[in-house]
Amino acid sequence: MTKQEFTALVQTYQGLVYTVCHQLVPDGDAAEDLAQETFLAAWRAADRCPPGFEKQWLARIAANKAKDYLRSGWARKVTAPGDEVMALAGAPPDQGPEARALAALGEEELRRMILALREPYRTPCRLCLLEGHAPAEAARLCRRPEKTFNAQLWRARKMLRAQIEAEREQEGRSTDGTVSR
Amino acid sequence: MELFRDDGCLTDEGLRALTAGQLDELGRLEAAEHLSYCDRCLDRYTALLTGGALEAPPHDLGRPVNRAILTRLMNNLYGRAAVASVAAVLALTFWRSGALGLTLGRDAPSLEMYVPGQVAPPAAGSIPEVGFDQPPRPGERGAGALTRRAYEAVSSLLDGLAAPDTARH
Repeated sequence: MTKQEFTALVQTYQGLVYTVCHQLVPDGDAAEDLAQETFLAAWRAADRCPPGFEKQWLARIAANKAKDYLRSGWARKVTAPGDEVMALAGAPPDQGPEARALAALGEEELRRMILALREPYRTPCRLCLLEGHAPAEAARLCRRPEKTFNAQLWRARKMLRAQIEAEREQEGRSTDGTVSR
Repeated sequence: MELFRDDGCLTDEGLRALTAGQLDELGRLEAAEHLSYCDRCLDRYTALLTGGALEAPPHDLGRPVNRAILTRLMNNLYGRAAVASVAAVLALTFWRSGALGLTLGRDAPSLEMYVPGQVAPPAAGSIPEVGFDQPPRPGERGAGALTRRAYEAVSSLLDGLAAPDTARH
């Protein structure tokens, strides 16, 4: 791709790229930075752009940039000190407070909670926690990138743990109520 | 509102909510993750982004993008030039300090080791002088001889360059 062609590409699709970034990241300055990063990444990988699919190709790069931005922000927000390693792809799946909370559940209760999860979390949990697939294999089975799959599994475990704790708390309260009467 | 269908793809309602800016942070993260790998949903999403649905960036992106590309190119160029300069300075330093002479045999009378008491030290005069005025050693041809000549040529050049300074002092 020549410099003129790339400049034309930027002029044609800057509105689309900025829109994708801004719809996924509402902060205007961050969206503008992400749009610039999108075009830089496109320039570096210009030879991989499928002819005729520039719009989709650029929208995908923009979505990827926004995803990385949102994921880092989300991980910072919900990760407790010492949990950082769990946020990374390839983190040991059978350690940590989430794994302990899930291990304490009965099989039926775990199945019920997992099947009640919404997508995109139900499938990763079903494949890994109920059917016993390794994360890499499960990611391949549901055709998701391994890193995305691991991130979804990580968030799903956190959701399940929060749900378990909420149910335990509720049970504790009702038990206290019975005793006090 | 359901963002995802049971098959794992985004719902029409979810896509409309995304374009209308009605998703919370987790919803936007989930949508971005899905759009980064699902071709079908990306097609459906980009089909919604036409005409009036597109936002204009606050500033034209062409100029900053071109500037960033140029900066990266220059950084690469400067980086390579810096590495080449450091390599040249190191090479000249080694050359002038005589460290390269060791590897070429100059001022290195012997690399043999001996343990006192077990092997008698070599007698004085038994070590052959290895210098550049000597003819090539047996088997030293091609690259070895060429390296010697290059060394001599550069050494004399550096000596010549250093001479005016010496004369001044």
